[in-house]
This record gives sequence, C-alpha cells and structure tokens, in this order.
Amino acid sequence: MQDIERRAFMKGAGLGAFAFTVGGAEVLLTPAAARAQGVPLRTLTAAQAAALDALGETLVPGARQAGISHFIDQQISGPADEALLEARILNVRPPYANFYRAALAAVDKASEAANNGRAFAQLTETEQRSLVDNIRQNKAEGWQGPAAPFVYFILRSDAVDVVYGTMEGYAGLGIPYMPHIAPTKRW
Amino acid sequence: MANEKVDAVIVGSGASGSVFAAVLAKAGKKVAVLEQGPDWQLSDLISSDFWGRRIKPAGGPFLLEGKNPVSYGYQGGWGVGGAALHYFANFPRLLPNDFRIKSEHNRAHDWPISYQDVAPYYDKVAQDIGVSGDAKAEEIWRPAGQRYPMPPMKTFRNGDIWLKGFQSVGIRMVPAAVGMNSTEFKGRPACIYDGWCHVGCPIGALANPLVTYLGDAKKAGAEVRPWSTVTRVLTNAQGTKVTGVEYYDRQKQRQVQEANVVVLAAWAAQNPRLLLNSATDKHAKGLANSNGLVGKYIMTHFSSGTLAIFDEDVENHMGTTGAQYMSYERYGKTAHKGAFGSTFIVAGTALKTSDLGGFANARVDLFGPELAAFMKRAARGFSRIGAFGEELPNIENRIELAGDKDEFGMPLGRIIHSYDDEVPKLWNANFEEGLAVAKAAGAKEMWSGRGAIPTIHLMGGTIMGAGAENSVVNSYGQTHEIPNLYVAGPGIFATGGASNPTYTIFALSLRGAEQLAANWSAVAG
Repeated sequence: MQDIERRAFMKGAGLGAFAFTVGGAEVLLTPAAARAQGVPLRTLTAAQAAALDALGETLVPGARQAGISHFIDQQISGPADEALLEARILNVRPPYANFYRAALAAVDKASEAANNGRAFAQLTETEQRSLVDNIRQNKAEGWQGPAAPFVYFILRSDAVDVVYGTMEGYAGLGIPYMPHIAPTKRW
Repeated sequence: MANEKVDAVIVGSGASGSVFAAVLAKAGKKVAVLEQGPDWQLSDLISSDFWGRRIKPAGGPFLLEGKNPVSYGYQGGWGVGGAALHYFANFPRLLPNDFRIKSEHNRAHDWPISYQDVAPYYDKVAQDIGVSGDAKAEEIWRPAGQRYPMPPMKTFRNGDIWLKGFQSVGIRMVPAAVGMNSTEFKGRPACIYDGWCHVGCPIGALANPLVTYLGDAKKAGAEVRPWSTVTRVLTNAQGTKVTGVEYYDRQKQRQVQEANVVVLAAWAAQNPRLLLNSATDKHAKGLANSNGLVGKYIMTHFSSGTLAIFDEDVENHMGTTGAQYMSYERYGKTAHKGAFGSTFIVAGTALKTSDLGGFANARVDLFGPELAAFMKRAARGFSRIGAFGEELPNIENRIELAGDKDEFGMPLGRIIHSYDDEVPKLWNANFEEGLAVAKAAGAKEMWSGRGAIPTIHLMGGTIMGAGAENSVVNSYGQTHEIPNLYVAGPGIFATGGASNPTYTIFALSLRGAEQLAANWSAVAG
C-alpha cells in the first residue's frame, strides 16, 4: 500500500472504526455510533435496512444496536477489494451490494408470501424466528434468490461479526482479546 | 517506457515465488517478482477477523463448479506474501508412502521422486525460516532427519485435554511441527500465543514470506512489484522459449517484462489459467499443454472436525491457529478399514469468536437466544480436533478457461471439482473415530462438524511426472515442453497426501530453485 493509504487504514483499524460520511465529510465511527447518530445510509434503502436490522437481531441478539445495517451499508458502498465482509471469504462475487439486495428481497418476498403481505421487519418476533428457521433449512416457500441456507449463513456471520467479533463482544464473553496491534478504543 | 529485461520474472510472491526469488537473487540473478495485489507490510496485519479479510481475494476471477466446488476465499492470498501471509503454519511433511501410491496400491500415480529426494530440503527449509517441533518424536512414522532448530511450542489446556482420548483409541500424538518461533530465531521474536496467526502475524514470529524468503530476496536485490497482474506468458516466434510476461499495472496499463526465465508461482488455479491463456500458433492449446494435462488433476483436502464442550475452562483463546499436537497414526493409505487415503490429525487450536473458523460456527444451526447461550458456554469449554483426509487425483477435476472475461480481457477460469465415492468413506471414518476420542477425553457434549464436505488446500493442475506423456512439469517444476518456463507451488504435487501443503511447497520450491540456479546457463542460455 502507499504510505498515505496505510496511515489512513491503520488509523481506522486502530480506532476500530470505519469511514462514514456525515454532512459531506468523512468521519471515523463505529457502526454502533453511526447508527446512534443516525448517519445516512449510502446504498441500502430504508426498507432494506429495516429488514437487515430485524434479520440481524433475530439471528444474533444485539446485532441491531451494534449497527449491523450501518456496517453492511458502509462495506457494500466502497471498493470490493477493501471490503471486510465475510462474503469476501465465502467466494461471493462482487459487487457485494448485489448479493445483499437479492438476499434481502428474497427474505421480504418469502415473508410477504407467508404472512399476508407483511415484510420481515413487520412480523412478530415469533414469526421472524419461524421464517429464519425455514430459511436455514431451505424450507421457505416461494424463495427466490441466492440459496436460502447460504443467505442464512452470510447474514448470521455478519450479525456474529458485529456482536461477537469486536473487542466489546470479546469482553462480553469474558475472553481476553489479546491483540498484537493494540486498538486504542474498543470496537 | 519499457521495463529493463531481467534474468528471471517470478509471477506471485507467496510461499513458492518467494523461495525462487531468494535463491535466484542470492545467485546474482536480476529478479523481478510481479504480484497482483497490494504491497503489505507487517504493520498492516491487524489483530481482527474483520481486517484479516483484507489480505484475502475479493472475488477472484474463477467460476466454481462441480459437485464439490472449491472454496478458496478463506485460504487464498491477495497481495505481497500471498496466502502464506495468513496461513496457519502447520508444517507436517509428506511421508514416503505418498510418493509411491501407484506402486504400492495401484491407484493414482507415483511421484517421479521419493521422500528421500525431498527430505534434505525439508531440513534446509527448517533451518532457513525456523520450525519448532520434535523431529525425533516424528520418527516413529518417518525416516530420521535433522532436528528442528527450535523446541516445540507451548501447549495449553485446549490441546492437552484431548490426549487421554487419543491414547484410548491408540493414536499417538506428538508436538506439532510448525513454522513458528518457540524461541527467538534469527532476530525474529518468539510467539506470544495470542491466536491471531490466521489474520497475519505482525511480529514475524510466524514464518511468513515477508520475514523469510521474500525478505532475503529483497536484501539480495530482487524487486517486488505490487499491483502487477500478469495475463500472458510470452514466447519467441519459434515457440521454443519463453521471453517474458505481459501484465497490467495499477493504472491498468499494459506492460511487458522480458526475462530469460519465467517462474509461474501464482497459485494452483492461476498458473494453469495463465498457461492456457498464453496459447500461440505454436502452442495452440496453451503453453506446456500439448498433452492436454494443464489444469488437470486438481485435488483438495477435506477435514473431519470433531467438536466438544468440556466442563472446565480450556482457555481456548490461548495458543496459535496452528496445532499443538499432530499425528500420522492414520496416515497409512489403508489405515481405516473400508476407506482409502491418508489421514493427518491435529489437536490444540486457539479459537476466536467470529469468522469462518470462529466458534460461533461450531453450531451453525443455532441462532437467536440459543446461539447467545451457546457462545457463553463455548467461550469457557469449547475445543475441537481435526482430521485431514486425502483426495486422489482425478483427471475430471480440472481448471479451464471460461467464456467471460475479467477487467483485463483475460478469460475467467473455471474450477470444476467433485469428490469421488472414496472421499465420504474416509470423511465418515474420521468423524467416527473423532467422536470416540472426544468421549474418552471426557467431553460433556460432542458432535461432528458436518455439512458440505470441505475443500481445503488446492493442489495439482500442473502435476509433476517422469515425462511429457503423463505430466506438465518435472520434479523441479520445469515444464517438459519449454525449458525456461517453470511452475512452482502446490500445483506441481503429483498427489496430495493429507498433510498441510506449505512445508512441502517451500521444500519443493527450494529444490527447484537450486536446480535452476545450478543449471542457469543451460536453462536460460
């Protein structure tokens, strides 16, 4: 990497933060802070973010507050070779936004088909859980999109990332994080 | 402006390319190493599963097909250091039986060399880059050789806890040989056992190319050129020699690097893609491919993971991503009744929470509150063991060019891979034995890590052999067809054994590079 790029990259990594655009300027924030501050989404629509928040929370409690939709939005809005998504190591073909759009559309469509036209975010917790379990087992009726178990696996991995993959997540489980390159702030 | 001609151009800066670069540069050759990705430094290796993904490929130019598509994203490399920038550094070697499987079992094919031809290079690599382990203990399964330069790594409860179980089924475990420092080695510090090996070791305690052969190569004058994507190997008009490579730089401008020798060290799938894309009127099917074997016989390993929760704190965050213990007890090709192929066993792995290997994936069926509860239990008592199995080479498992093209106009590659009927037998046998081990070890809960059969460690595609009738390269990686064109890496393995491949990649590359340097005039002339 060029030196200037490395400095910027290291700065972000050290803070455990990512670059979000606020008022036309790039600032480094954790996804949770970006969510809390209402940072505008760049790629996901409000409906997609609502679906992703609800899915994330169903898969891993705490994912919504940890900023899963801001994390995904930030990651799919930049170049693929800078992405930090699990999709990258599971051979999803860039642009990654295409995968997420297709996956979220498939979830909402399956939800609407099974629940009188209600999108996933509008379901009760019990209904959400039931649909996710069907997606996991490839039993969601009317599913149209990337393979349902793969969607389950990727979105579950994203939710695990933001809840358990952070320094805060390790602390919550009582596991020493032990970084070689010590972040200056928990993320 | 044209690039100055070099003696050798090496395509790829990972394990194999770095060895060729070091040996040739030290022999006084002018060397250019072309690497398609960024120029990573140790300081880029952040201890985080998020950031660790940045040193892996983002949608490589391959279509993945067959009944068991090859999944390479987790293991692949992108940038200087290649996949060896973030490997686990388990350093088992192939054993003598791997080299003569045809002679002994009338299956697959023999290597054109024996274990004894490679053994001195295993020893040399250990001295060059540092290996920790107990060679004497391994000699219950292999011929004697040199001691490793460092004693075994520390062990932790997450490894020790399995020993009773292995003993109960007659599996002897010995300290794992790993490419890591148990003590300071050549100015590189000892490991601190924080388990972040898989995202890259920024202190250089793990023998990645930056702190070993590639560092040596640069000191000896080799130039490493990042953001250089090679698309073709070029030949003279007669088609008798290669003359260099075509590549695209960071500005996506076409460049030519002329050289007397070309070494393809770009990865087991990318090397065939390059050879096939370099067809000319003299080599209509691609370079080194008059027998049609370029891209054929790709192989992978598959693992049978046994997972367990113990009723004590096993400190699973401690250690390395590599193993603490290993065993060749089931390495015989017929060690499991009713199944064929070697098995290599490991125990004692540091675990993180997330990412593909994290313990959140130990129970992918769980989500919601049940997953949250599992995470708490697993944080304290979860551990796992692994058994790697051998897939025999099958000519139908192959790499070929696809119709679609990448941003440089180069056809995408298609990796077609299906396991034969033997594989599930060995996979299942190792699961069964793993559960017996877990039970005898006193695990409170135990289960097999099933799902799709994994595809790990891509090998083959440019296999070595005694002649052009059955192979692409000789035992040094020199193509049978064009003497100044070499291929390096796991692609030249004739069969895959069950051992993690990188130690053998280093050893074969060192053997090939030394042969090239010693015969330079005849080859490059």
